[in-house]
Amino acid sequence: MTKVVILKDGILTFVIGPTGPEQRRLANKVMEEALKKARLPFSEIQYIVSTGYGRINVPFSDRQVTEITCHAKGVSYLIPEARTIIDIGGQDSKGIKIDRSGKVLDFVMNDKCAAGSGRFIEVIADTLGISLKEVGELSLQSRHPAKISNICTIWAQQEVAASLAQGVPLSDLLAGIHSSLAERIGRMVSRLKIEKEIVVTGGGGKNRGLLRALSEVLGEKLIVPEEPLITGALGAALIAREMVEGAKRDKMVLKTKERQLEEIEIL
Amino acid sequence: MKIDEVYSMIENQFNQYGSRARQLRDEGRKVIGYVCSFVPLEMITASGAIPFRVRGNIQEPITLGDTLLETIVCPYYRSCFDLSIKGRYEFLSGLVIPHACDSMVRSYSVWSYSLPYSYFHFVNVPTVCEESSFEFFEEELKNFKRSLERLMGEPIEEEDLLKAIQLYNQNREKIRTLYELRKSDPPLLSGTELMMALTVGSGLPVDESNVWFDRVIKAVKGRNASPLIKGPRILIDGACIDHIELVKLVEELGGNVVADTICNGTRDSFPKTEESGDPIRALSRRYLDKLNCPKTYRANKAGTFEGDIASRFGDIGAYAKEFRVDGAILYVYKYCDPFGFEVPARKAYYEFIHVPMLHLEDTYSAGNLGQLRTRIQAFLEMIGG
Amino acid sequence: MTEQQKEVKPRKRMTATKAAASIGPLVKEFITETLKARAEGKQKLAYTFIVCHHEEILRAMDVIPIWTENFAGVCGAKRDAERFLQRAESLGLSRSLCTYALCGIGFDQWREELGEMPPDSPWGGMARPDFMISSGQILCDPRSKWYQASQQFMPDVPIYNIDLPYPLFQRDQDHREVWGYYHKYIVKQLRGLVAFVEEQTKKKMDYDRLRELVDLSDRTWNLIDETYRLRKAVPCPMGTGDAMNTMVPICFMMATQKAYDFFVELKKELEEKIARGEGEVENEKYRLMWGGGLPAWYALNDFNYFNSKGASFPVETTYRMVAPLYEMDIPETRDPIEHLAWRWLGYWTFWYDKARKRPGSEPDVERLINWIEEYKIDGIVMHEAFSCRTWHVGLIWQLHQLGKIYKPIPLYVVGKDGKKEVVMKELPSLILESDIIDITSYSEVDTRNKIDAFIETLESYRVNRAY
Repeated sequence: MTKVVILKDGILTFVIGPTGPEQRRLANKVMEEALKKARLPFSEIQYIVSTGYGRINVPFSDRQVTEITCHAKGVSYLIPEARTIIDIGGQDSKGIKIDRSGKVLDFVMNDKCAAGSGRFIEVIADTLGISLKEVGELSLQSRHPAKISNICTIWAQQEVAASLAQGVPLSDLLAGIHSSLAERIGRMVSRLKIEKEIVVTGGGGKNRGLLRALSEVLGEKLIVPEEPLITGALGAALIAREMVEGAKRDKMVLKTKERQLEEIEIL
Repeated sequence: MKIDEVYSMIENQFNQYGSRARQLRDEGRKVIGYVCSFVPLEMITASGAIPFRVRGNIQEPITLGDTLLETIVCPYYRSCFDLSIKGRYEFLSGLVIPHACDSMVRSYSVWSYSLPYSYFHFVNVPTVCEESSFEFFEEELKNFKRSLERLMGEPIEEEDLLKAIQLYNQNREKIRTLYELRKSDPPLLSGTELMMALTVGSGLPVDESNVWFDRVIKAVKGRNASPLIKGPRILIDGACIDHIELVKLVEELGGNVVADTICNGTRDSFPKTEESGDPIRALSRRYLDKLNCPKTYRANKAGTFEGDIASRFGDIGAYAKEFRVDGAILYVYKYCDPFGFEVPARKAYYEFIHVPMLHLEDTYSAGNLGQLRTRIQAFLEMIGG
Repeated sequence: MTEQQKEVKPRKRMTATKAAASIGPLVKEFITETLKARAEGKQKLAYTFIVCHHEEILRAMDVIPIWTENFAGVCGAKRDAERFLQRAESLGLSRSLCTYALCGIGFDQWREELGEMPPDSPWGGMARPDFMISSGQILCDPRSKWYQASQQFMPDVPIYNIDLPYPLFQRDQDHREVWGYYHKYIVKQLRGLVAFVEEQTKKKMDYDRLRELVDLSDRTWNLIDETYRLRKAVPCPMGTGDAMNTMVPICFMMATQKAYDFFVELKKELEEKIARGEGEVENEKYRLMWGGGLPAWYALNDFNYFNSKGASFPVETTYRMVAPLYEMDIPETRDPIEHLAWRWLGYWTFWYDKARKRPGSEPDVERLINWIEEYKIDGIVMHEAFSCRTWHVGLIWQLHQLGKIYKPIPLYVVGKDGKKEVVMKELPSLILESDIIDITSYSEVDTRNKIDAFIETLESYRVNRAY
């Protein structure tokens, strides 16, 4: 996903757009949309920070900062009691320890294989012909969650298909898949010494089935912000504001990129 | 990082790694390849042969090597084997492998039967570090000496050995001097430049390596500014990191690499050999005791965990202090047993000395650098304040 | 909390011999005894590793060994290793490391944190030791680093690390040129062990008792070799599946009368089966060698699968940790410690002389060739366990080298001119891949498919064999 947050005194506006290989075009598109929504000319944006995997592909960003630092800032702004953040995205998952000012104290990442991220659920849901929106709710209907023994996404896919053919209820399999992912995420996060409050962000935060499984694995309650997809962009915007305020204070001029959105034609 | 004539000079030599060795072979000299800090280079030099540090290539996918050697082996070592099988090191007359880790020892037959060199020798370095271990190691060194004498067709006299020891100590002093130039803030030479310079040195005969380091020291001292922008001062901890990609990445993202405890860094070059007394005894002490590597088991004399780690990793703490380090990166290869088992203890030690540490597990492939980038950048953001 | 479906437990494995079937309770017994001894507190308990030639020393001083590798294997066989592996990972240890060690370290950390055994510990768990005796030798780094890592959670438990090197096979040097100083070092290391145990137990070594125990283990070694040689019979009376059970007295009960008696019984059982013409497999079609690799402890049923296809396993290199003393060319000595050191060197250099005589050969390859001929082997199976460099690095090369220098099977093939001709081919081989106790690396479907394909190859060799 490609997201943008525009900050003034509070969040002025935000846009969540699709992801894809043409990151430059998507960045331009969501920026355009957000400016329209906020009724602002591009020139009025004082500083732009980009984050995430595609952060180097945002041509108009003034600075790139990692998602880890941005999520920390964003979550701390929304939920000041947060001390541990678990970000579950489509490509990776992260655990971040923060202090009360939103500064990162420690972090762990799992970006090495699909089975450690939301992709695991996506692939299997796809196999079963179920949309991502429904998959979490369906899993909550399970009485007897199945145990999925394979940790490789491809093998798990095969295992689920075989079990379904043998008559195992769909909701049980989905619950099993959610537990499996929750266990892996829990295992990764346990490398940090987890402290309350625990906040979940990213697409995973919208999946109630995953949240319940993760809460069980950790034995703790989880907090999810209203819009769990934008905490990274929000953090980036907060950092941008800090840059502007810092420059004003030190009487320095900030280097910024030209405020121009590219006209990209689809050939 | 600023590119100036000093950088270019170093990079130029770095890109020619192996060409001098090839030249020497053409002149009729015997060049002996080695991996690992445990190989007694003084002995090879004293015999008249030239030791050459074999490297892998992180940019080159491992192909031929995998048909003969399992993939569950240290990936850096696999790369070295792959390049050897592909003939990149055809100028070598032989290879010396020490008892340093399972990956090396258990693949010894695979190497010695698959590669065309007539000379292959295994130096059995003891696992523990007691009085009886030194006695054993001295006998092993004498055995190594005999094997080299057979290869070269002439005896190694005591004065040859003493001379070699002196040359290597001089080499180490020069490297020390280079490291001193990293103490300024920001350092007068970048970590990238230092790694390249050290690599060049390990591919030359020791006397030429001494000349090389003199040249580098003079050039760097001639600078009036650092090539780097001031940033968090980083120590790299790990085994053999024979490529510059990691250091380059750290410095590209704003870190200043000013210190290390890696094999082809301080582990190779800081400990010196005693120049007085029996040279074989001096070598056994230097390689088994002074060299600090996880492969050498050091008994817990303190009886507490804190005492144990302070004793095992004291040199890291000393470097961290000496080079005023802000953070450390522990870079461990997947499938590395000696370092892998020490990660929790090292982590505890870095907490003990209040140095933030980033632990990276890597597979020695260029494709993995993207994942390292995010972690390193996040770490630098974290300690940068 | 919703009820989790019970994980399907593996079907109980069928053994070919009664002796092998009796092992399960035997292991449970000695684990239970360690827990009892801990509770009573009269004898000292030591974590230690197998094949260090030191059981005689420990037993002479009434120290009870806690075999940490065995416990990890038990967790693996019960398919209950995952939670301990995960615990180790959460400490920062990589899953690519020896999974026995990860299981052990994870278990130790948990036990120390709780102050009691982790819940539902397999067979009661591992008792807290009084000291730990490790030995990496020159083949296993984890065995040198494992207890050191566990000591972080048990700082009051001291370690003695025995250095036990042996000379690697070098084609340009006879091992006898160096084994004098190897022997000297090993003797000093073992004497150091004796001194350590004396200090820990506050007792003095009884050298008469030690001499008796060394003599007992020598005799046991010879008996084991004689017993296993009976498996040369056609049909083969006992396979590798059983041997993965009978390794228990070899590795965990050496220097006890019980171990010796076990092999007396097993030998008798095999002799009786041979007299009756009874094999491991009813209709034996293929005789296979387990050429290398630790077994996948959670998948020992795969041996029954092989059996069901007509394949027997007369011999394996894994856990064959003894060699006949009377075939070792080692110096005689009255001192038991010096003898142990010679036995150590004799075992590890056993195949060196033979390997030197055959061009292109090497000790492990030489052993394969000798046993292929002695046990009439049709094919070789290797198992690559990803977390163990010690026993698995080099297997691919061994097969490759074996194929290069040894082509014993005459097959009919159709030549270029359309006529039938005889070609000497190398033995067919199969490489299975998973791990020792990490079950997530294993796919039963995949493994069985590979086995099926291998059987087809063996069958085509059998049918097209020239003579």
